[in-house]
Amino acid sequence: MWIWIILAVVVVLLVIFVIATYNKLVRANVAVDEAFAQIEVQLKRRSDLIPNLVSTVKGYAAHEAGTFEKVTEARAIAEHANGVAEVAAADGMLTQALRGLLAVAEAYPDLKASANFLSLQEELSGTENKVAFSRQYYNDAVRMLNTMIVTIPSKFFAGMAKVSAREFYEVPDAADRNVPTVSF
Amino acid sequence: MAVSFRAEQSSNKRKTWFLLFGMFIAVVAMVWAAGTLLSFNAALLVPIAVGISLIGVWTSYWKSDSLVLAMTQAKVISHEDAPQLYNLVEEICIASGLPMPKIAIVQDPAPNAFATGRDPNHAVIAFTTGILEKMDREQLQGVAAHEMAHVGNRDTLVMAVAATTAGLLAILADMGARMALFSRRGNDSNPIAIIVSLVIILLAPIAALLLRAAISRKREALADATAVQFTRNPTGLRRALETLAADSTVVHQKSTAVAHVWIESPLDGKSKSMFDTHPPLAARIALLREMEGAPPSAE
Repeated sequence: MWIWIILAVVVVLLVIFVIATYNKLVRANVAVDEAFAQIEVQLKRRSDLIPNLVSTVKGYAAHEAGTFEKVTEARAIAEHANGVAEVAAADGMLTQALRGLLAVAEAYPDLKASANFLSLQEELSGTENKVAFSRQYYNDAVRMLNTMIVTIPSKFFAGMAKVSAREFYEVPDAADRNVPTVSF
Repeated sequence: MAVSFRAEQSSNKRKTWFLLFGMFIAVVAMVWAAGTLLSFNAALLVPIAVGISLIGVWTSYWKSDSLVLAMTQAKVISHEDAPQLYNLVEEICIASGLPMPKIAIVQDPAPNAFATGRDPNHAVIAFTTGILEKMDREQLQGVAAHEMAHVGNRDTLVMAVAATTAGLLAILADMGARMALFSRRGNDSNPIAIIVSLVIILLAPIAALLLRAAISRKREALADATAVQFTRNPTGLRRALETLAADSTVVHQKSTAVAHVWIESPLDGKSKSMFDTHPPLAARIALLREMEGAPPSAE
């Protein structure tokens, strides 16, 4: 009699344990998707700021055509990027192009002093930070999921939950290294 | 050796549980003491004392967002009023995954900030006009991260639990002492037990206040570590705390009811005391400096 009760309790506990682990994996996987969506939202916001920024800078520095072209080009590529690696690469390129644009602006005191430019600059640096933080949040979510997938016991349920290791969001190093040095 | 924010976080969380357990022990000791002194089962008093203590603390906990705003006369702002402040709080929300809180500004020349609200969905974080003037973007980001860390760590709840327990012990001590005067237990109690009980009744409420202050200090240290988790930049918060340390002005609101919520305590004196609600600024700065030395792999 007692044996059966103990056995039933053990089975119930096991089932609860399996469900909990399964749900944890699924939730971690959804968290990664949400975190990536957040990156895309922030990238979109940054992209939306660009036309305004370009036209403002153009008003003061029309002959810096090469810099504008780079920004517009990088923006166009970023808008059609798909998948983590591609989005990350386009993000890196656009970040670099924007830094170039802001470096150009440094040379024009009138532009730097204009209220429009100042508020755009704050919006842009705020959005840059948001992009950076959403990357960090995404990578934390991926790290958590990937750790669960290789550690016991969650490892055994990854297949059942149809969850697999995800890709980190890595902005290509080379783009960061070529950043022009801006002295303020 | 470099300190990682993760180690700091788990150590402070562990210490909070340890201190809350200490408060639980104090309640058990108090019930025992009242039991030895009174002729009836003192455990019966507990629900009454809990009730009284809960009513006081939990209404202020539940309404903490609107109450603290009213007490400090903070004005809730929108993006247009202070775009930079709004942006940097949004940044921390993205870094932490927390919902956007209400942002408020307190008219006060002293640099300070606080967070309150019963849960992350009712959170308010407020900054004084002084802190907005004296600090640059990086410093304010550190401060915003510290405040959002309080929100994420549910510190309003933790401190409400601590306050409830401290209140419970004070009420039990009061009731126990009064009733002991009127009721007489049979001759069976031994005198040592009676003396020990009296000592407990006298000391437990003070012990509770000390534990409560200790919990508050641990939550502040935890919020500093969590802020670093959010921004991965100990420098901003460290520089902000240095500015606070260099500044001698103190916020006008000296009310004890909201003292613990500020990033820099308006009440703690210059010398270190066991009743302080915040760790000394110098110690917080030193710890953040050590985190700055942490290798990138500690991320």
